[in-house]
Amino acid sequence: MQEAVNRGRGRGLKLSDLLVTVFVSLVLGVVYHFWSSVYSLFTPFFKESNEIVYGMWFIAPTLCFLLIRKPGIALIAEVAASHVEILFGSEWGIQLVFYSIVQGLGAELVFAAFRYRRFTPGAAALAGIGAAAGSIIPDIYYGYLADYPAWLVILKYVLRAISSAVIAGYLAYGLVKAVEATGVTRQLRPLQDKDYQALED
Amino acid sequence: MNQFLNSRWHTWLHKANPALKIALVMSMFLVTLFTHSLDFILYQALLFTVMLFALSGHPPWKVFLIVLPFILIFISSSSTMILFGKGDHLWWSWGLVRISEESFHRGIHIGFKSVAFAAEGLLFVLTTSSVDLFYALMQKFKLPAKFAYSFMASIRLLPMVWEEFQIRRQALQIRGIRARGGLKGVVGQVKLYGVPLLAQSIRRASRVAVAMESKRFNRNRTRTYYYPSKYTRYDVYTVLLFGTVVAAAYWAGEGLAVFGITDVRYR
Repeated sequence: MQEAVNRGRGRGLKLSDLLVTVFVSLVLGVVYHFWSSVYSLFTPFFKESNEIVYGMWFIAPTLCFLLIRKPGIALIAEVAASHVEILFGSEWGIQLVFYSIVQGLGAELVFAAFRYRRFTPGAAALAGIGAAAGSIIPDIYYGYLADYPAWLVILKYVLRAISSAVIAGYLAYGLVKAVEATGVTRQLRPLQDKDYQALED
Repeated sequence: MNQFLNSRWHTWLHKANPALKIALVMSMFLVTLFTHSLDFILYQALLFTVMLFALSGHPPWKVFLIVLPFILIFISSSSTMILFGKGDHLWWSWGLVRISEESFHRGIHIGFKSVAFAAEGLLFVLTTSSVDLFYALMQKFKLPAKFAYSFMASIRLLPMVWEEFQIRRQALQIRGIRARGGLKGVVGQVKLYGVPLLAQSIRRASRVAVAMESKRFNRNRTRTYYYPSKYTRYDVYTVLLFGTVVAAAYWAGEGLAVFGITDVRYR
């Protein structure tokens, strides 16, 4: 019994963890693909107004991490979601895979800072902001951020951070809560002490 | 997956090893990312687009259709920098808009950069199938099989989600559920569709995982591959070709300079 308990505690990624992460992320990747039309829809209001919906592109890492709750999931999720662009033969294909690595890492680092033990909406919102922060790194070289006036850069990234916190943080959390109510998440998560306690009772 | 994008004939870019190709395209990406010379980037965008015509295995009219959005990419990525970027030699200003010589050049630089990225990406995307890519990554880059098969299985499962989405839509229609307006309505819609689709996806993926494991997936240390992934002479050609293209773009940027601007960054 004790041996089985120790084995069950392994926090490494099993095939089922990976499959669920990759599959859910690919589905979200399809959403990502069509989200660019929503993004353009939000363009005309004011300068950088489309950043209001940018956070959707960071939802895969937070959503999958909240579902599976294991290290590495956030990074894999974002890379998997970006793979859809390769499948669809999009012009952004390889570029987005590159972005997804830094964005996934941004989210992953936030969850790691909580030692992968915080599954609260606040942690998810911070992870969303982490992903947004990751997206700045390639922007510095690609878009020459330093050569924009300060107000524009601040407006752009503050809006992006808010959007990431709301969509990738709170919306993802809300969705996971609702999915939890269906009971499917029980088979995904590493067992906890109270589960073993239930066996003893 | 996408009938339209199936190549008509195979060029030797198709025959090159996908693992090597993705490494090459990634390094091209880095070269492009760190290019600050306007003329170099112009010729990169130009030459990689020409390569698309030559090596994508599609008839020219189709490549033309594929590269048509490049104009849109160019405009959307360059406009903000042109209109708002920093610069000293002012051409025109109106309110917050400040178009200067420097911002214009930097703007079109970003535009050409985006086009170069798009062409490099398409060179890979249009000549590689996902299955080939993952087989190559497993064999050449030692990607663990559980990662590769998670991707390949998920890709096959993806069309089912589309089917489920339509069933869900019909079910909601038949029950007479209407979308409400406002933010609450949007969140409600997300939940109406998202929760059942997510729950079903999770169930399906974990069932597939259980099925694979019960068939002893990945129990053995060594595995055999149905599609062996090898390096061939086409890989040598591909490396040489990409090297030549970058060298040619660099040379043309120096020798046939159109703008004569070596660094678009603001000092």
